This record gives sequence, C-alpha cells and structure tokens, in this order.
Amino acid sequence: MLYSSLLFIYGFLPISMLIYYITKQKYRDGVLLALSLVFCASNGLRFLFFIIFYTLFNYLMGILTDIIKKSGTSLEAIPLFAGITADITVIFMFRAEYMSWLRNTFGFPDDFFIPGISFLVLSSIGYLIDIYCGRIRAEKNIISFSLYTVMFPKFTAGPVVRYRSFLKINKNKKYGLSEIGKGLAIFIKGLAKKIIIADTMYQLYMAVNDIDIEKLSSVNAWLGIIAYMLCLYFTLSGFADMGTGIGYCFGYRLPNSFNYPIFSSRIKYFASKWHIQIVRWFKFYISKPLYKITKNNRIRRILFISVWCIAGFWYSFSINGAVWGGLVGISITAENFFVRKKILKATGIMYTFFIMSVLMVFLAGDSMLDSARYLLVMFGGNRLFADSISVYFFKSYIVVLLISMYASTDLFRNMILRSGKSKLKTAFSAISPVIAAFLLIVCTALISYSGFSDMILLKL
Amino acid sequence: MSKIIHRIIAFFILLIMASVLILTATNKNSDNTSIPLTFSAFMDGSFFRSIENRFTMNFIERDFWTSSKAKIESQICEKIVNDVYINSERLLNADISYSPFYESNADIVNRFAKENDCAVYFVAVPDSSGVYSDILPEYLTDDTEKQCIDTLYSRLGNNIRRIDAYNILKRLNENYIYFRSDTKWTSYGAYCVYRTVIQKLGFQPSPYDKYTIEHVTDNFRGNLWEKSHYMKSKPDILDIYNYNDGAEIVSCTGLDNTLHSCRKELYCRNAINSDDMYRLYLGNDMPLVQIKTSVNNERKLLVIKDNFANCFIPFLIQHYSVIDIFSPECSVRNIGDFVNIGDYEQVLFLFSTESLGNENIFSSLTD
Repeated sequence: MLYSSLLFIYGFLPISMLIYYITKQKYRDGVLLALSLVFCASNGLRFLFFIIFYTLFNYLMGILTDIIKKSGTSLEAIPLFAGITADITVIFMFRAEYMSWLRNTFGFPDDFFIPGISFLVLSSIGYLIDIYCGRIRAEKNIISFSLYTVMFPKFTAGPVVRYRSFLKINKNKKYGLSEIGKGLAIFIKGLAKKIIIADTMYQLYMAVNDIDIEKLSSVNAWLGIIAYMLCLYFTLSGFADMGTGIGYCFGYRLPNSFNYPIFSSRIKYFASKWHIQIVRWFKFYISKPLYKITKNNRIRRILFISVWCIAGFWYSFSINGAVWGGLVGISITAENFFVRKKILKATGIMYTFFIMSVLMVFLAGDSMLDSARYLLVMFGGNRLFADSISVYFFKSYIVVLLISMYASTDLFRNMILRSGKSKLKTAFSAISPVIAAFLLIVCTALISYSGFSDMILLKL
Repeated sequence: MSKIIHRIIAFFILLIMASVLILTATNKNSDNTSIPLTFSAFMDGSFFRSIENRFTMNFIERDFWTSSKAKIESQICEKIVNDVYINSERLLNADISYSPFYESNADIVNRFAKENDCAVYFVAVPDSSGVYSDILPEYLTDDTEKQCIDTLYSRLGNNIRRIDAYNILKRLNENYIYFRSDTKWTSYGAYCVYRTVIQKLGFQPSPYDKYTIEHVTDNFRGNLWEKSHYMKSKPDILDIYNYNDGAEIVSCTGLDNTLHSCRKELYCRNAINSDDMYRLYLGNDMPLVQIKTSVNNERKLLVIKDNFANCFIPFLIQHYSVIDIFSPECSVRNIGDFVNIGDYEQVLFLFSTESLGNENIFSSLTD
C-alpha cells in the first residue's frame, strides 16, 4: 500500500487515526506499532514476517554490541559487523537486479519491491554504529525500537533520523486537533506534489523516452532531463512530505527532507538542501570517520568524492548512480576552487541548474553508453535543435512545467514568511482549508481510475 | 491564528475522509469480485491487493471521479488519459508498442497451413489508432501498425493468401469505418474489407444497396471511453446490416470449453441494455460458433478470429452453407477438439494487429 492510494487516504489513514486516538495515551506506541505492522502486511505476510525478523535481528545485534562493549572485551565489532553485513545484504537483495536470486530464495517474486527498504536499512546501520561508538545505549524496549524501524509514517520515504533524535521526537509527541490539521495540510501538499506535478513530469519524461534517440532533438532532450529532475524531486519530496504529515497526525514532529534545492545558487547548496537527512547520514557515518584517517586535503577531497559515489550508488544501485554521485562530488569540489565567493545569485542559480541537469543524465540512464549518447543529443549531436514534437510538448506541458518550477523555489514560502502579520498572510491562512480540500479532491480524481499512483523513477 | 486554521483544516479534511469512507463502504453498486482467502494469497499480498482493488472499484461516485480525471488531465498535460489519446473527433489508443511476437505467431500460422490441406487466407486489421495515426502525436507513431502488419505478412508463407485491409481502411478513413470511442471497426468498416475478402475467397460481394441498415443504438460507448471516461466524446452507433431477400440462418449454435452446445444468435439484442453493447454481434464469446445457412452450395468456411471479426461475420452469410467460427482467445482446448480442419476447403484468419501481437493468441492452434 502506498501513501498515494485511495485505500490509504480514505481507509487506512482515518481508521488508524481513530484507533490511535481512542486508545489511552500510554498504549499509543503499541497501537502505532500494530498499525505499522498492518501497513507492512498489506504487501503480504511474507514481507511482514521478513520485516519482523529483520527488526528483531537488528534489535539483538544492538543489545549484543552494547553488552560486549560494556564487558570491555573489545569484541563489539563482531555483532556490529554481522548486523551491518546483514543490513547491506538486505538492501542489495531488494534493490540490485543481480541479487534477484536471493530475493527468490526468500520466496519473493522477481519484481517484488517495497518503497522504503533503503531508508530502513540506513536507519538500522546508523543505530548499530551509534551503539558501537557509545553515542547511545542499545534500546531494550522492543516497541520503541520497532517503531524506529517500521513506523509507517516514516517507512516509505524516511526521514532517516538518528535514533537519539527519534527518541526525542517520540518523547515530545504533541497531540491535538491543530497538530492533526497541520499534519493533514503537509500530507496533502506532499500528495499534490506527487500526483499533480511528479506524475505529469513523469509522463513528459516517458514521452521523450519514447522517441528514438537518433530522432531526438536537443530541445526535447533538455525537456526530458528537466522533466526527470523535477519528477524525481517532486516524487521524493512529495512522499517525504506525506510521511512527515502523517507523523504530525500521530503526534510525531518528523523533520523535513528537502529545502527547495532545485534553484539553489550554488551546487553545494543544492547538495545540502537535497534529501537533507540522507546527505547528513552519509556525511556523519561515512565521511566523518574517514576524515579522521588523514588531514591531507587532497586525500580528503578524494574521500569526499568517493562518499558521494556511494550516496549516488544508494540511489540507483548501478554504476550510473555512482558516476552521478561522483560527478556531484567533483562539481562541489571544483566549485569551491573556481567559483568566486561573490557572484550574482541569478548566475549561480543558472549554472547550478545547468550542471545539475546535465549530471542528472547519468542518474536517469540505464547504462553509461545511453547517458553519453543522451548528453551528445542535448548538445546538438543529432543536428536537430527543435522539431514539431518540441512545440507539442511545450503546448501540452507548459502549465505544469511553470507551476513545478515555481513550486521548486522558496519564493512563495519566503513571501508568506516575510509578510509578517499582513493582510496577505491572513488571506492565505483563511483560504488554506479550501485549498487543502480542493487539492485533495483533485488528487483523488487523478488516482481514481487505478486507485493509486505508482509512477516512481527510483525505487528507494 | 494558525492553530485555528489548522483545526479548521483538520475538521474539513477528516470530515471528507470519513464521509468518503462511510459512503464507499456502504456503496450499493458494489463490485463483488471475489477476494482470495487462501494461505498463499495472504502470504504474497494478493489478498490485500484484492481489497485495495475492490475499494477502488467501489469508490463512491467512481464515474464522476474518473471523468473528472479525464477533464483535469486533458487540461494540464498531453491529451492522453489512461493511455487513451483524446481528440475532438475521436478517442485513440495511445499505448502503442511493437510486439516481439508477430514473427512467432506468423510461424504458427505457417505450420497450420502446412499441416492442413486447405486454402488459408489471412487478414490483419489495424485498430483505429493505426488508421487514424495522423491524429496522434508524432512521437507515438514511430512503430506504426503498418510496420507490424508488414512484418507479419512478410513472415507468412507463400501458400497463405494475405489480404491488405490496412490500405483499404486507410483510403476510406473519411467515412464512419471506426467507432469514435472504441479501437474496433464499425459494420461499415467491416463491409468495406468484406468486399475484397469475399472476392479473394471466390465470390462476388453483395452490393451495398441490397442491405437495409438498422441503427440499433446511437449510445454505444466503447473500450476507449471505458478507459478514459472522457464525457465530451460522442457516443457511437451500432448497426445491423440486413440483407433483403437473401439467405437465412438455419441454425446457430455455440460450443463452450466443455464441448456443451447451446443456441446462439447472430445478433444478441439484449446486449444493448448491458455494459458491453458490442456483444450485439454474436453475443457472449464462445470458443466455437457454428452457423448453418439456407445457401445451397455445400461450401464450408472456417473462420479463426478475435472479436474484431464479430461484426464481419454477418456479411459471409450470403455465401456459405456452413460457417464455423473459432475464437482462440476463448478456448482452453486445441482447435482439433472442436472441428476437423480437413472438412474445410477454406480457412480465414481475421485478427486485429493488437491480438496478433499477443504471445499466446494461437496457443490453441499448436499441439
């Protein structure tokens, strides 16, 4: 079951909220866990049993690491290693095509995939490392730990918060109708991002993909890759917003995952605003320990680029993804060298958008050869600048393209924030319930035929 | 201020969610497709998928929502809704892809012709998006139906007589030869191809003015409308072509997969009051339909076809004593269980290009 399905929006979510809020406060964690297990079970009991086993395994590895560490025998690396190896095996099993044999061994069909596995694995690895490093003690309460791994508001799209932060969020839960309202508003914003914008951009990207590469004009190639980038951004941030919104509905104030990265004025700002918790995770758990090895700046730069390669690989589980990550790392390094500290914001936005669009070709491609050919077409390789199809695409998609570009910027948010207590803010607040209801109705209509929206570029 | 607004949002949205949930749960027009209650269904998730599917099908005012989807999508992006291209004139299938199975299906027909001592005729009929491809966006027409038909025909053996329906229909596409809301041809489209087919089969075609055309309904909504629910598209007309003072049907029987026979009719008029009006032609699909006519020439024809041919069959009545119609799509048995192919001097294959790209379409023709 996806967040973007009719059964979830009009069935699972309201019923879950009802059950949650009629339960006494001290039992709510248990109820939320039970609901999360039902959410997992919607993908089949085989998956549910797998998730239960996976959670128990990491729970035990955490406790073992803690006990051994406390005993002072210096063998705590053994359960840590076992846990991380199992976690990495799980992510490869579900994400890598070449590991489908292992998927089959567990009885999952070839095309089986549940969105959220990649976030789950990062959370679990982070938890074990934190125990190993002595930052936290192993969680003895199985309900609290299980909520950290399988809680359905963060299962599909994160955010990958560290266990300590999660405990704080859990401890400071806020209940009330206004929290639910805030959560529902965020949920609907995410739903609209996914269904109205991301799905439309997906159609444009697929339409461009339908054209034979030898007949593709440069304009169409650029349109295709911009559509890909916008689709990816709005899908990931849409699901993340939906998760955050659901979290608020249950009292959990989960953090945002994106901070308007697309029109950043520098590549490094793009990187720091893109999938914030994921980028932080790689920085905290991989870059930081590696930096401690050496103080040599050159080696550190190489390490920085390598970690971006790993992050890129995490996105697509292919060489293309690793190359994309590596190139982002190289771009940030080069930017620090070559771009002056003071440049016009517009210039910065333009070059960042240009470079990130070009690099996106690697994340979008099936192979390096495909990406290279596509890049060539973008820069006039087919000696065809534009054609009648370009006009058709512009005419068909211009409205959503412009909306998505505006929605990718922080202009509207800043306008509302800066307006203080002005009439504009009051007017917007007053009509926001109508906007929320309107967007929910439009999204419902758009998924009414199939019952869900599963147009996803990267299965994370 | 913001707390009050958030409370109002919560109240409104929860009210909408609860109302929709209650109305959907109590929806009387419920879809009662069975939900699998087996152990394996629980394990692999098909139980939950069935529940999700039923919830979607029973969703309150589903038709309103799906038609709203068509309206919204046709405004904000390409005029393609659920793989249906929306044009002011007609709806067209936009899910066009080149099937890899044309060659293997042609090989099966070749083997069939080689193993059986009869004259084999083959007609591949394009669907409406093939004949009206110029309406579709340019990027969708790379793999044209013409190419598919050419691939298939070039693979067929020399002993098989190919009939070029594509060019006949393309030439006449100003006429009402295809439904506006369906992928299939109209009775008039079938008649236009019949004139050529019947000459190849060795007869003179019945002249058009010999027919009395009865408009059975002008409210037919086809498969493309079912997918898109685009309300602005015009409904279609279903016609019956009655041949004045011609041969009559002596008997019409159908054989199901258990080889039980039942009475059939060439036209099932009750279908007009059902969801699937196209069943007007030949009624419910059955593996074999046997038609005996008052024609006294002892000629027997075996038609192997998909449902495209249903409105074509009536035109053959004037020429054969016996017409046996085999539908491989409906059959779980081998064709040999239904008919003895040696009894026929002529076999006519009549399929749409869509069916011909289906991997298993001819599985009942192989041993």
